[in-house]
Parts: sequence; structure tokens; C-alpha cells
Amino acid sequence: MSQVTAKEHYSSIPPKRRSVNEKSFFQRLWKQMDIQLMVWPGVLLIFIFAYIPMYGVLTGFMDYNIFTGANIFENPWVGFKHFEDFFNAPQFWTIMRNTIVISLLKLLVGFPAPILLAMMLNEVRHRNFKRVIQSITYLPYFMSWVIVGSIVMSLLSTENGSVNMLLKGIGAIDESINFLSMKDYFWAILVSTNVWKDIGFNSIIFMAAIAGVNPSLYEAAEIDGASRFKQMYLITIPTIMPIIIIFMILAMGSLLSAGFEDILILAQNPSLRPVSDVIDTYVYRVGLQNQRYDFGVAVGLFRAVVSVMLLTIANYLARRTGNSLW
Amino acid sequence: MVVTTAFLLTTVFAGCSKSTNDPKPSTPKNSNVSTDEKPADVWQLGSSDLEFSAYAHYGWLDLPAKMEDVPFWKYLKENKKVNIKTIAAQGNHSQLMTTMMADDDLPDMIFGNRYDPDIMRLYEAGKLVALDDYMEKYPNLKKWLDTKSADMLRFPDGKLYQFPNWYTSRPNGSAGYVVNKKIYKELGSPTLETMDQLYDYLVKVKEKYGEEVIPYEADRAVDGQGVGLIYTGFKENAYYRSLNGNTLAVVDEANNKLASLFTDPAFHESQKFVSKLYREKLISQDMFTITDRGPVQEKLMSGRVAVFGSSDPMPYASAAHLALSKEDPEAGYFMIWPFHKAGLDKNKIYPGGYDLLGWNVNVITTAAKDPEKIFAFLDYITGPEGMVIQYYGPEGGNWNGLDENEQPILTDQYNAKEVSEIQAANNPVMIAGNTAYIDPAKMKFELAKPVEERNWLARYQESVTWKTHIDQTALATHLTPDPGTELADTSVNVLDIFLQTLSASSTAKSDEEVDKILDQAEKDAQALGYNELLEWRTERWLENKKMLGQ
Repeated sequence: MSQVTAKEHYSSIPPKRRSVNEKSFFQRLWKQMDIQLMVWPGVLLIFIFAYIPMYGVLTGFMDYNIFTGANIFENPWVGFKHFEDFFNAPQFWTIMRNTIVISLLKLLVGFPAPILLAMMLNEVRHRNFKRVIQSITYLPYFMSWVIVGSIVMSLLSTENGSVNMLLKGIGAIDESINFLSMKDYFWAILVSTNVWKDIGFNSIIFMAAIAGVNPSLYEAAEIDGASRFKQMYLITIPTIMPIIIIFMILAMGSLLSAGFEDILILAQNPSLRPVSDVIDTYVYRVGLQNQRYDFGVAVGLFRAVVSVMLLTIANYLARRTGNSLW
Repeated sequence: MVVTTAFLLTTVFAGCSKSTNDPKPSTPKNSNVSTDEKPADVWQLGSSDLEFSAYAHYGWLDLPAKMEDVPFWKYLKENKKVNIKTIAAQGNHSQLMTTMMADDDLPDMIFGNRYDPDIMRLYEAGKLVALDDYMEKYPNLKKWLDTKSADMLRFPDGKLYQFPNWYTSRPNGSAGYVVNKKIYKELGSPTLETMDQLYDYLVKVKEKYGEEVIPYEADRAVDGQGVGLIYTGFKENAYYRSLNGNTLAVVDEANNKLASLFTDPAFHESQKFVSKLYREKLISQDMFTITDRGPVQEKLMSGRVAVFGSSDPMPYASAAHLALSKEDPEAGYFMIWPFHKAGLDKNKIYPGGYDLLGWNVNVITTAAKDPEKIFAFLDYITGPEGMVIQYYGPEGGNWNGLDENEQPILTDQYNAKEVSEIQAANNPVMIAGNTAYIDPAKMKFELAKPVEERNWLARYQESVTWKTHIDQTALATHLTPDPGTELADTSVNVLDIFLQTLSASSTAKSDEEVDKILDQAEKDAQALGYNELLEWRTERWLENKKMLGQ
């Protein structure tokens, strides 16, 4: 009986309810003031630094003049001229190939590496040993590429380079190999340097995820007689899967960013260009060094559009597993 | 007309006598100017305060932060009431310049590279002050800068906007080969003249010293330098400038035009030679990968280089020579006459070039409140008094007065050590140098010293480098297409090909591969419009030659 009265009561006052809700929206806002205060600076920052400068993409469709700036009234509009210039550039296909191949290689090797490291560290029982390994692995992340680059260069140098000396010492080679000027080795050097630099830091997030796995699951598995490998395969991986998928989606979005500083520094030798030139280094060379900002913006815009498409596709695919970003 | 000329001459004369005899500004001005002319309102440096902002448009050079940091600037501040507020690029010059342009917040004076497209951009945007009227009014630039050179410096509207630095009328530069004295003696001091002899020598070095010593160290091979020198040894009258990104063409004397570098037989031959050195480990294996000069200097300093080739060996080799010879007088480095291919005339081999217009320029922007005063300041520096004070300190110390050739007269207190310290301290920021004036002055002092006290380079300037540098002004000026044009894109793309090719062919696995790489480069470059670029450059080059009367 009371249920019926309640129903009647609600249905009899729909307009009033709306007004109460409207009020309560602001009330809710006020109640959440502390949280709102944390969100708004971030929103504001994104608005100021990511949305307002977006009018700059117009530069990609005009002949930019540095003295007038991105003045939409003075500079001549040229439509897709700069885009066409890029697509027709003689280096276009080389650049696209390098960008995609280097990205995929980085994804293929660099993505699973920190997960593996996190899982391996998780199995280490000795706390101090684990900490030392963690510190050692994430230290390189805080070094700038200039430093890492010089370390790699002196390691691989033909004159007194440790790698060459080691290889000669064990009799693997007779004469020094000039690693950093050979096209065949460049991708391998680039990818392994990247993995070395980032593996420790990137593994932190996965370590945190693994730490969140309910220990009773392992205990139960152990009672059922599951080996350590079985436990990793059947418990650890499935439970951290959502995180892996989310990071995978984000990585897909940056497929056309194959890196910049690392390539600029490691590929000093111009004869490596056929394997090392990627979109970012090309934009840097043509757009910034030769001050063709309009062209640089056009290429950047092209990359952004492709990235958004890739991100959407990856998210769409991931949604089927129930772990999508949105 | 006659009156004007007379007037000008008197101003010139008045200016000269003032700067030579009396550095004080309060000398009577133009007392002998005819009365029907208005008295010239020539502003004397030091007669009133001068304050302006200045900026060096280089990634590797900043003007001194404080006037006191450099002796000459300190002198200017204390005696000439000059106060320069400097803006530092701190290695990020392109970005800073872009920001300043976009904000329209330009410095009053910019010191930069004559070939930098930014100077042209400023001119096109009407941001530069024309200097012609001032040049007529003030004595020194007018006197020392050749009229033809001034014409070459002019921009398309026929006006002069650039105040040159180190302009000259005679050869300068120090490109060439430096040989390690100790190794040379230990190998029996063989004749080193031809490329074959160089090769044999390098082989011997490798045999005797193994991996300890780098037989041939090529300075900045990525830019061409140490490798480019070798190219000039394979053809008489070849220009090192041919390998520069803003030229990238060889002179075809027969057809009076500029031709492709990639088809030049001498370039094929020199690259084969270089690749042979590379294959046989006679040349630094890291030359294209380690582009930092630090390791090169370290090798030179420790005496581990047998032959060093560079466009400017001076700063590295002379420091290394000093360090090595201090410990062992027999050690060190010496410079030799450039190598040539057997059969060529060694007197027609030029590993370096010089430019009548110098290298850097100063421009005055429309942001300057009083551009004339800044010009007067530059004009003072480029004159005898300004130059001598930079090199020998204030008058009354090491020198007193000028002789009939306007060269400084040494005093009894002349202190060679102090002079070299003054020069070293002033050296990085000489902004309106006058090579034509100071080189003979320097040489006069150098030759007065005993041999062992002489400046390391000065010893070889007279005997080697001044004779082995060729005038490349016509091949260097106005050959850069305007930024943003199709030709500019072509130029950038062809330069890209060249840099890749230079590295690839220098490290090629066989002579056949060198030919293949260069032929492919020619094909690629032609597909990008290299030929149109060459035709355009030929026109400019012919105009330059006409203007210079060459």
C-alpha cells in the first residue's frame, strides 16, 4: 500500500521535481567545491594551451608571413597547397615508411618489455634486490637524449668503443664495425636504446597494477597446484589486461610519432637518412630550420588527423573486449 | 658637384685626422668647410651618450653580457660613452629571431651571417635601415670598403643595408693540412706533395702506429670540410665553395656556366680516393658519426693524429701545437703546402677561398632610435683607431700614433704577451673588422718577433695559406634563392642529397660504388630541379662577375 502511495506521490509532482533537481545541480556543484577546484585549473590549462592555439592550424592553409603572423585577413589563402607539397615531396614515401616501421618496431619491442619486467620483478622475493633493480632500470629515463646519445656513440665508436673492443676481444670480429653509419643496424640501435631508456619507468604503472591483484587468487591457484608460470599466465595477465589495453590504445594514437630527439641525435650521419628520416625530423628540418612554418603546420595537421583516426579505430576494436577508453 | 666632392673629402680628411691623432671628441670640427655649405652634422663617437641593443644571430656565439667582459668594449664604455645592451640567443638563435620578428620587438643592431635568410626576410619586411647616406658622411667604411664590394652587398633595391665584417681586398683564411711533426720525423720526413705521397704516408703511419694514431683526421666531414679539401686537390682552380650548400655547383670554364657537382670527374676521383682511405682505415672511421669536435681536439692534443685536414685548423691545431711543443720542442704540428694530384700545377690548388665581403654583417633595424649614431659607432670600429685598439690596447701603451701608412707605431713598452692576451680576449666579438687594414699591421708585428715567438698560424699565412686561397666572392654572393620560393625548396632538397651522397660515397665499398652513388645522386637531383637551380645560379654568378669586373 505504501508503495502505491509513493508512486502516486512521485507521479503527481513531475514539474516540481525538475526544479528541485536544477537547484540541486548547483548545490551539488557547491558541495563538490573541493573537487571542482582541482578540476578547473586543468580544464583551463587545456583550454588555453590546447584549444586557443588551435586557430594556428589555419596557418597550414595560408602562405604564412612571420611579420603579420597568422593574420587571416592579410595572408593569402592557398588551400591544400602545403599538403600537396608534402604528399608530392620526393622523400614522402621514405618518410612514411620509416615513421611507420620505426613506430611499429618500438611498439612491438618497447610495449611488452616493461610488462615483462614488471612481471619478472613481481616474482622477486628479495625486497632490497628488487628495489636496486628498479632504481637501476628507471634511472636512464631521467637522462636527456643528448646524454644517452653520447653514451651510445662512445659505446659504439670504432675508435676505443667498448662494444667493438669487446667483440674484438672475444674474437667475433677482426676489424671495428662502424655501427652508427650502417643502415642495417640503425633501427635495432634506435629501438634498443629506447627500450633501455624507458623500460624501468614504464614498468612502474604495470607494477602498480600487479600489486592490485587480489592475493587470494594466487593462494587459491597454488592450492589447486598451479605452477608459477601458470599463475602468471592465468591470473596476472588477465587481471592487468584492462590497463594493457588502455595503454595499447594510447600507443596506437601515436603511431605516426616515431620519436624525434632520439633520431636527431643518433642519426648524425646524413647517409642514414633513407632509414632514419621520419615525419618529425622532416618537419624540423624543412618547417623549422628553413622557416616554412605553414608547411610544418600542414604536415603536423595531417599527422594529427591520422592519429585521431587510428585512436578511434583502436578504441572501437577495444570496445569489443569491454576495455575501451570511451 | 665640385663643392660637394670637396666637402666630402674634407669630412673624410677631418675624420681621419681625428681618429688618428686625437681620440678625444672635442677637436674642432670641419673648420675649413666652405661657408655656403651647411656644416656637416657628423656625430662624433663619444661626444654624447650612445645606448643601443645588439644581438648576434648565431647559435654558437653571443655578444658579451656586460661591456666590461671584453677589453675593447670596456674601453668603449669608459672612453666613448657607449653602452650596448646585448641580447643573447644562448644557442637558440633561429627561435629567438622568429620570436623577435613575430613580436616586432627587434634589437637595434643585429650581427649575423651574410647568407642567413633571416637578414633577407628583415629586408623584405622593410625592417632594415639603409646605410648609403651615412656611408657618404662618415670616413672609414667609405675609405676601406671597395666600391665593387659595396655594390655586391647591396640588396635588390640598390641600397646598402649591411655593414660588413672582415671585408678585405686580399686573400685570407687558413684552410689546409696540418702534419704531426714527431710522426713525420719518425717516418723519415718523406716528401709530402702529391695525393699518392699522402696515401703512401698514411699507409706507413698505419703500419707503424696501428690503431694508436689516426692517419688522416677530417674535420667536420659532415659539412664537407676535411673531405672537401681533398676534392680541391684533384682539379686546378677548383673551388672549395663548390661544396657549400648555398652554391653546390662547379665552374664550367669552357661554357662559362655553373655545372652539376655530381658529374664533375674531379669529384668522382676525389671521392674514390677518400673511400679508399676509408676502406683501408687510413681516415677517421667516425668522421660522419661523431660530429662533435671535442673528440677531434682531444686526439690532436694527445698527438694521435698524423695529418689533419680542416677549413680552419687554426683554433685546434695551434692549441695542440702549443701544448705538445711545451713538453717536447720536437713535437707539435706544422702546416704544409696543400696536396695535389700528380701532374697538376700545385700553385693552382686552392683548398680554401676568401670573400671580399667577409662573412658576417651588421644590420641596423628600424627599431633603432638613432641609426646614424650606430653607424658612426661601426664606422669608428672599422677605422684604424678602432682596429688598433682592439688588437694592441689603448693608445699610449703598446703603440703611440700612426705612421704615414696609418699603421700603429710601436712604443718601447711594447709587450708581446700582453698584446696576445688583448687579442685573445677581444677575438670572439670583433663586429666590424677590417682585414685589409689589420692584416698588414699584424704581419708587421709578427715578422718583428723571433721565429719561435711568432704566432703559430702567422708563420704559415705568409708562406702557405694566403697563397692557396682563391677569391670566391662571385660564387658565394646572392646565390641563395629567396626563402619560400620553389627554388629555395629545390636548394634545400639538393643539399639534402648532397650531404647524404658525400657521406655515402666517402664510405663506399668500392670505386664502382662511388660512381654508382654519384650517378644516382645526379639523377635524383635532376628530378628535383637541380638544373633550373644551376641555371638561376649561373645568371647570378655572371652578374656578380660583371659587378666585380672579373
